[in-house]
Amino acid sequence: MGIKQKIVFRLAIIYLMFGGLVLLILFELFNLKVIEAAHWKEKARTLESSSIVIEANRGNILDENGQKISLSVPSYRIYMDLHAHGLTSHLFNSGIDSLSLCLSRFFGDKSASAYKRQLVRARKNGERYHLVNGRKISYMDLQQVRDFPIFRQGKNTGGFIPKQYDERRHPFGSLASRTIGKLYGEKTKGGMVGLERAYDNVLKGTNGVSTWKRIAGSWIPEEEIPPHDGKDLVTTLNIGLQDVAEQSLRKQLKQHDAHHGVAILMEVETGAVKAMVNLYRARPGVYIEDHFNYAIGEAMEPGSTFKLASMIAALEDGAVRLTDSIDAGNGSYAFYDQIMTDSHHGGFGKITVRDAFEKSSNIGISRIVFDNYKDNPRRFVNRLYSIGLNKPLGVEIKGEDPPVIKYPGDPSWSGVTLPWMSIGYEVKMTPLQTLAFYNAVANNGEMVRPMFVKGISQHGKKLKEFDPVVLNPSICSVATLEKVQDLLKGVVERGTATNIRNNTYKIAGKTGTAQLARGASGYDGKDGVQYLASFAGYFPADRPMYSCIVAVNSPSNNVYYGNVVAGKVFREIADRVYALSYEKLPESSSAKEVNEGVYPWSKGGPEDELGVIFDELGLPVQDRNLNTEWVSTKALEHTVKFRSKSIPRTIVPQTKGMGAKDAVAILENRGLKVAISGVGKVVKQSIKPGRPIEKGKTIVIYLE
Amino acid sequence: MRVTIRPYKNIDWFTVAIYSLLVVFGWLNIYAANFDPEATELLRSSSEPAKQLIWIGLSLIMIGALFLIDSKFFVEFAYIFFGISILLLLMALLFGVEINGAKAWFQLGPVRFQPAELTKVAAGLALARVMSRYNFQMNSWRYVLKMGMVVFLPAIIILMQNDTGSALVYFAFFLVFFREGMSPVVLFLGALAAIVLVLSLLYPTVYIMADLFLLFAGYVYFEKQKKAALIIVGITALVFILIFGVSRLLEKDFGFTIPFLAGVAASTLYLTGQVIVKRLPGIGIGLLLLWGMLGYTYSTHYVFDSVLSDYQKNRILVMLGLENDPQGIGYNVNQSKIAIGSGGFYGKGFLQGTQTKFDFVPEQSTDFIFCTVGEEWGFLGTSMVILLFLILLFRILFLAERQHSAFSRIYGYGVAAIFFMHIAINIGMTIGLAPVIGIPLPFFSYGGSSFWGFTILLFIFLKLDTNRAELIR
Repeated sequence: MGIKQKIVFRLAIIYLMFGGLVLLILFELFNLKVIEAAHWKEKARTLESSSIVIEANRGNILDENGQKISLSVPSYRIYMDLHAHGLTSHLFNSGIDSLSLCLSRFFGDKSASAYKRQLVRARKNGERYHLVNGRKISYMDLQQVRDFPIFRQGKNTGGFIPKQYDERRHPFGSLASRTIGKLYGEKTKGGMVGLERAYDNVLKGTNGVSTWKRIAGSWIPEEEIPPHDGKDLVTTLNIGLQDVAEQSLRKQLKQHDAHHGVAILMEVETGAVKAMVNLYRARPGVYIEDHFNYAIGEAMEPGSTFKLASMIAALEDGAVRLTDSIDAGNGSYAFYDQIMTDSHHGGFGKITVRDAFEKSSNIGISRIVFDNYKDNPRRFVNRLYSIGLNKPLGVEIKGEDPPVIKYPGDPSWSGVTLPWMSIGYEVKMTPLQTLAFYNAVANNGEMVRPMFVKGISQHGKKLKEFDPVVLNPSICSVATLEKVQDLLKGVVERGTATNIRNNTYKIAGKTGTAQLARGASGYDGKDGVQYLASFAGYFPADRPMYSCIVAVNSPSNNVYYGNVVAGKVFREIADRVYALSYEKLPESSSAKEVNEGVYPWSKGGPEDELGVIFDELGLPVQDRNLNTEWVSTKALEHTVKFRSKSIPRTIVPQTKGMGAKDAVAILENRGLKVAISGVGKVVKQSIKPGRPIEKGKTIVIYLE
Repeated sequence: MRVTIRPYKNIDWFTVAIYSLLVVFGWLNIYAANFDPEATELLRSSSEPAKQLIWIGLSLIMIGALFLIDSKFFVEFAYIFFGISILLLLMALLFGVEINGAKAWFQLGPVRFQPAELTKVAAGLALARVMSRYNFQMNSWRYVLKMGMVVFLPAIIILMQNDTGSALVYFAFFLVFFREGMSPVVLFLGALAAIVLVLSLLYPTVYIMADLFLLFAGYVYFEKQKKAALIIVGITALVFILIFGVSRLLEKDFGFTIPFLAGVAASTLYLTGQVIVKRLPGIGIGLLLLWGMLGYTYSTHYVFDSVLSDYQKNRILVMLGLENDPQGIGYNVNQSKIAIGSGGFYGKGFLQGTQTKFDFVPEQSTDFIFCTVGEEWGFLGTSMVILLFLILLFRILFLAERQHSAFSRIYGYGVAAIFFMHIAINIGMTIGLAPVIGIPLPFFSYGGSSFWGFTILLFIFLKLDTNRAELIR
């Protein structure tokens, strides 16, 4: 190769290199901009606009008096982006010591040097979403952590990433927590059990969406579909009564080392459940509420409380009269090959039908039923069916165990089914189903569906009220009803439950002491006989207001009678309820004192709402048309005077004396963030009234 | 030797015209990248386009001054320039300010200056001086050492400043060496080493080793040793199968690499005999190179894992598509591709781009300025820019070849090679062909230092070109 060719060759290679690479680039550009253009255009579009889901706040669950028994509280976990864009080595190294110290002091779980090691390692590993501490902290704490060194530089520089969790809190702890229910861990799935699940659609609300468009370097909101917050659920539960019921049941369960227990208190007329307790023995001496809803989900052989149904059937068919006598023999009686026994030593001998019921004679009741129905057992069972005992109640809380009442001809129906059924064996009912039945007796024959929710409200305003649902307008004739009501009273007056009798008010009810069938081992298992001690009834017996059932599962073998174990709980609950209802009715004399000539004044509030109240009370009001939103009131000689309470929008208003709802509304309307501490009325606020408003600042109001 | 006293005679106006087109279009894109549709003023004095306009204006004066300087001056002072620029680099390393992780800048009041941009010019001149000596010989160790110093000394200091991109540019000078007589084998091996590096991250080592061996066998075949070529392939295959089979029988897992290397070793023994008997030095060297490359392949994983830093590794892995990380390292490239791709064939129109404004693309007026071109001017605009660059490169090569003096020619090749490197890497990076290495696109990227650097680089050559008919010594 000559020198010239050599150079030409080299030149050619260089030209080819330049040209070849340019061709490659052109090819790739063509690929990007022509062939894949649609793909990249679509990507660009999604970058230029974005939509953010605005999560709706989940509604609260309130007790019948409006106390919050389940509410959402935000909590936060602190994450850190250790390779945040602006987190330079200089910033990191100069702030890490003081940050570690702050973290150590705040969380108090590790030394400052341990935090430093942790963060330095995380930075070395390039972690962009490092969990600083697993503990969830409150909003107030978050404000403190936000001010820590490095963190205070924000997300892009300081790598500070607080992740928000909405936690469901039960301010009353375990009270009614199974009835209230709980949520799935994953937020979008909503309620898992209890009322949280049954009314998930009411509580969850609908999320909003805000669409943003990027224009000139900043995001401009384009369209916003606001979220609709979930509505509040006003339950029929009374947290005070729930407390009484839980405490006394827990006490009894502990004393008898029972496996689990149920107590339900219900308003007779409406079926409104005031308290429902489900306690389960987690370990000896420790009972927890949040385990299983036995009241609804566990149908068991009810035992003697079922005798009420047998009695109604027999009386309704005119098979017996209360004064008829029946031979209960020496305490044991054979139905074919099965021996039935009475707990009374030596047997009851010849007794009246009334005594058989009040003293809870198994032989007595079963002979009444067996003798009268053995030729036509269908008639007996039809009676039970016509009461509605075979049908589930259809309560809104999921998981109701349907009752089992065999029908003649069923494969499991045998010759001894009828007598055993008459005393509450070979049938299954949940405590709530039994209670609904007793409640019907108390409610003059009208069976209503137990209800847990009386209405739906939002921001304290009633949106919807639920009416009681009648399941069976009349479970039996009035004559029969009066007889069994009398029998139930007799149980307490003379029968098996005299231990709960008292002079203040009368209780009607029935004890139950059932032996538990335990799977294959039958009634007499390895661990000896297990019992279900129960008491179902209502009070005051003459003018029933509340019905109640208490069922204690597997109390210790020494004491298992329904009257002793369950009756005590019943009595404690009833006493408390009776005392409360007594308090509710004020002495007429004290009411009079206020009435004489002096007009009542009220706390300040919204003009329209106060107006409605005063109108309702028939009180004359002066200066109704002030055209201001908020008024304070003053009592004059013959009228109540409204005075406008104008609150300029630029200064922090006085909220002392307001309810939480009003105070929050006023403060948030003025652009402040509100943190609430306590319940009741506002007694203090963290920013003094009259100070200029700084938008977005947090004000804490303390309620008492 | 008389040098012309008419400084503006013989200027290559064609190059100046292309330069002007690039500068104007470049500035328009900086303006577009910074354009704020809500701003009332046309041009705020503190904004990037305004500052760039000042740099461009000042560069006109500088160009005028450059043409007044005697061409001989560049020859005489080449080493002094080089010395000063090395000193500046060292000072930047010691006293400079850190920007984007690279300690490569001086801060003089409001003005920041990056000496590395001017070092390219000094290195180009010094290299031209070294290689234009009348007794210059490519293969002389003395010259290799000198050339190596001129190229690698600044590169190493820049590397120490943590500016890998700018250091990489110095490899461009190998093109100059090639033009001036360096063996194409070096270029070939360099390219091969780069390819092997990339492939060894993608495929198992033994595949690449096998390919290298076959390549070598092909070389032997075309060196008129057809029989030997077939024999070594046969020996290697046989030994490989034998050892692999035995290892299976003994239930010991040697993998593929060890049996294969044993095969290559066996055929090496045979071929060494042939080399000695038949006196074939070419094949002997080839054999040495083969083992060198095999060792290199074997060590690439080690090099990749131990020598490169994490972010460099990540960038390479992202570029190779081995790691998909659109929010991390791949973020820049992804955003850049979105911007360019969304421009389509005709583009969105001047100032109509949305991706390159509003900070979707990072470094949108410096390293990623090409995105603005792509988004607003479409395939047509980018093709035009690339073609303009190609014409400029070809024109410089053409001008270089017409120089009488070696100094001008060599310097011209240096200029072309540096431009080529910048253009290829910068544009390659914005469209995902090259790893994200932050080096500016000549005349387009915002920044006074780089704009002046490229302008001086080009116009010293144009000045030298005005004296193309003379021998400058």
